Amino acid sequence: MIEVDALSKRYGTQLAVNEVSFRVERGEIVGFLGPNGAGKTTTLRMLTGYLAPTAGKIRIEGIDAVRSSLRARTRLGYMPEGVPLYREMRVHEYLHHRAALKKVSEARAAVDRALVLAGVTDVKNRIVGQLSKGYRQRVGLAEALIADPPLLILDEPTSGLDPNQVRQFRELVRGFGGSKTVFLSTHILSEVQAVCDRVIIIREGRKVADITLDQTTKLEDMFAELTTSGIAEESP
Amino acid sequence: MRSAWVVMKRELGSFFVSPLAYVVLTSWLIFTGITFWILSEFYARNAVASGSDTPLSGFFGGSALFFIPLLVFVPVLTMRLIAAERQSGTLEVLMTAPVSETSIIWGKYGAALVMWATLWIPTIIYAWITSQHGSVDWGAVGSSYFGVFCLGIYFMAVGLLMSTIAPTQIIAAVLSFVALGALFAVGVGEFVLDGTLREVCAYLSMWGHMHSFSKGVVDSRYLVFDFSVALLAVGLSIAVLKARRHG
Repeated sequence: MIEVDALSKRYGTQLAVNEVSFRVERGEIVGFLGPNGAGKTTTLRMLTGYLAPTAGKIRIEGIDAVRSSLRARTRLGYMPEGVPLYREMRVHEYLHHRAALKKVSEARAAVDRALVLAGVTDVKNRIVGQLSKGYRQRVGLAEALIADPPLLILDEPTSGLDPNQVRQFRELVRGFGGSKTVFLSTHILSEVQAVCDRVIIIREGRKVADITLDQTTKLEDMFAELTTSGIAEESP
Repeated sequence: MRSAWVVMKRELGSFFVSPLAYVVLTSWLIFTGITFWILSEFYARNAVASGSDTPLSGFFGGSALFFIPLLVFVPVLTMRLIAAERQSGTLEVLMTAPVSETSIIWGKYGAALVMWATLWIPTIIYAWITSQHGSVDWGAVGSSYFGVFCLGIYFMAVGLLMSTIAPTQIIAAVLSFVALGALFAVGVGEFVLDGTLREVCAYLSMWGHMHSFSKGVVDSRYLVFDFSVALLAVGLSIAVLKARRHG
């Protein structure tokens, strides 16, 4: 699970994330919403140890992710936005490389399992750079799953997927419900409604809502209200 | 250390499937082939009665033909190391795996040294060719290669540092070229300056370094310099990569 306390990140004079606090319980699937530039990716990068916070605390599975970053990173699988991959490698080579980097014992079995889970077994001998965007996205997901981490952090996981792939992805994530904690950022509201138990909304670096979802939640109206209200007054 | 090995294997794998590797290696061999031919011709036409200069000692640093291509080839080999990962975004995936910056940098550096070795191993054939037509001082050849290896230790470390600092590969290549060019120019100061400055330039001179090794003289002062610069550059690369998290 994730515990975030008063997390801030400053780039020069700009405060990208401003004292954000939240908790994600074990087995929960939580959506992280916000307009473009709200600080979603910066927050995820701090959770995964790619960026150090300016202030605040992060605990991943009870481990202080700022002080013991390496240990915290063993507990999570991360799929960054745009899914950067080594394009010259074959899919199975890439996954074996990542398994070795993550010190996965019995790498062969782990690679086979990740290939099946992400639905990329049929392209395992193909060169990553020659795959379609949808497949590359799923190779990124296979990579995040390779060490069988208890926590998955996914940044815009369905951007670039076709409707069928989006459906498969949603089914896969829903299938993790209870067994893995999933924290995913997106700005596709229907996706959140389809897979998430709860949603955290940020705007201009601040948390503006933390809502448990049910069938009746009018997410679209709520999002519009939370992320646009007040903007007219703020602009000169 | 195991992570460094994994990083190194990946780096070498991606280098040797890239067209860049073959363009670099082929042009390097064409260039050194021409250099060796020019030097052999020169020594064959001008039978030098005195001195210990041979085509091989000339080849290993006795002429500017040794250094000028290196000032270009080293930046091309090292520019990708970190800058390519930063440019393509894979640095984010690499640095969110449970791998320390130290392992990443040592892995990349190990790969760079292997690339350096692949430049030089084929040149052994020039020593063999010479041995078929005259006598070769194999001790001097051995110390020349040792000198080349020590020079590589610091050239590749400087290239690695520039690749860690630079936002793109091209900038990394230009920075390495400038840094190595400056170090080369400092060596030339030995022939221009006087007094203590001259001593300092002689000590820093890559020309003097290879001149001494190519004659079979292993000068420990040059080794201390090579290893210190290499350690400093590798250490700085680790620090730069760590500092990036706070960017």
